[in-house]
Amino acid sequence: MPVWYEGVIPEHNAVRNAVGVFDTSHMGRVRAEGPDAERFLNHVVTNNVSTLEPMNGIYTVMCNPRGGIVDDLIVYKLADGRFFIVYNASNREKDFAWLEGHSEGFDVGLRDVSDEIAMIAVQGPRAEETLQKICSEPVSEIGRFQLARVRLSGFDAMMARTGYTGEDGFEFFLLDTPLESPERALKVWDDLLEAGEEFGIKPCGLGARDSLRLEAGLCLYGNDIDDDTSPLEARLRWVIKFKKPIDFIGKEALMRERKGGVKRSRVGIVMEERGLPRHGYEVWDGDERIGVVTSGGLSPTLGVGIAMGYVPRDYRKAGNPVRIKIRRRLAKGKIVKFHPFYDESKYGWRRGSK
Amino acid sequence: MSEGYHIPDGISYTEEDEWARRLEDGTVLVGISDYAQKQLHEVVYVELPEVGGEVAQGDSIGAVESVKSVSDLFSPVSGTVVEVNEALLDSPELINEHPYGEGWIAKIEPSDLDEDLARLMDAKAYGEHVAARAH
Repeated sequence: MPVWYEGVIPEHNAVRNAVGVFDTSHMGRVRAEGPDAERFLNHVVTNNVSTLEPMNGIYTVMCNPRGGIVDDLIVYKLADGRFFIVYNASNREKDFAWLEGHSEGFDVGLRDVSDEIAMIAVQGPRAEETLQKICSEPVSEIGRFQLARVRLSGFDAMMARTGYTGEDGFEFFLLDTPLESPERALKVWDDLLEAGEEFGIKPCGLGARDSLRLEAGLCLYGNDIDDDTSPLEARLRWVIKFKKPIDFIGKEALMRERKGGVKRSRVGIVMEERGLPRHGYEVWDGDERIGVVTSGGLSPTLGVGIAMGYVPRDYRKAGNPVRIKIRRRLAKGKIVKFHPFYDESKYGWRRGSK
Repeated sequence: MSEGYHIPDGISYTEEDEWARRLEDGTVLVGISDYAQKQLHEVVYVELPEVGGEVAQGDSIGAVESVKSVSDLFSPVSGTVVEVNEALLDSPELINEHPYGEGWIAKIEPSDLDEDLARLMDAKAYGEHVAARAH
């Protein structure tokens, strides 16, 4: 995926207002199959895989024994004993080694199918209408985080209502499209661009992918979460199921942290003065340095600088004023209510429903 | 060659892609080159130097930012900043649209102009500098 095709801002706006398409074939995809697949996954991830009905997925993290995040991922249950996992491209080798390394004693087979299955994301309020034109099945019947077997442009695929933009949208997996013969994927890509033409569809790059997920308040592994950040600090408490029947890696550390309270917390910051916060910039309160920006930049939707970062827990209340050190000056900003930076009645997959 | 980039004659260029144009009143207009704006792509924010500030050739006096990256602005000459292009605060895209015209960034009253200009490149040398990086 290039950084941009036409430009980050027009691509960003296409997704917020209409529809955009991303080639996400670089992501990691693994099949986990076997009598112990469910038990194994519940051992490595924090969420409860046992609650999944077939052809449904959940967002989760997997942790190291210190409670740090190895990666964030989506686990889909295809059928009893058969799962499909999608994780970050940058962690492909690390994650596969991690899964394999912890599979001893479980009757489970793991297979990296990243290079056998093309993956494309179609995102935006017109994504459903666009996809319906090339899809054999009724797209509107696929619920959020549900997976469906469909034919796209006549080719076998699995399609889920998921994404990384905050908008309604889908991610689909074209089966049997090995990297060395991408013809099917190219055909579907071209058909999508044609199907979405009337809505102003645009192919989108990594730049828009990043600005869209930042506006939506979604974490980027390596920036906002990493091996030394716990899901409690990252405010991903909802993906940890302490009470599930099988112990998972990192549980003890996370229980200790929960009991003692987190020391720092992920927050959203909106700038109130000119300037764009960037990854690594310092967060200040008065003359005290209190934290660091982990992701930041321009919000094309709001027209101002926005950031995610970590501050001591006591500072995390919405409305708290902070300053961000942008080169030589300290620019004013404030901590905002957590999660999407945009007005959810106007943007994002919940729009119109509130 | 520096195909695809506009590199006008008669102005001076730095290795970091700023340009300096001597005006009739003796001041120097400063901006970034067409190559620089194309590398940045969509300019979304410009941090202007401070009017009245004393600067030395090569000092970082501001920044030009795209969605994805930040590029320091290094002063091509020494002197005092006498004016900045405040239109860029609301319309940073002027840098993309007219890098050598309406997208100018600062005006400097130079203190050692002849010496400073001697250290900069003319259009031909700058064109080679751009071409060397494009390959």
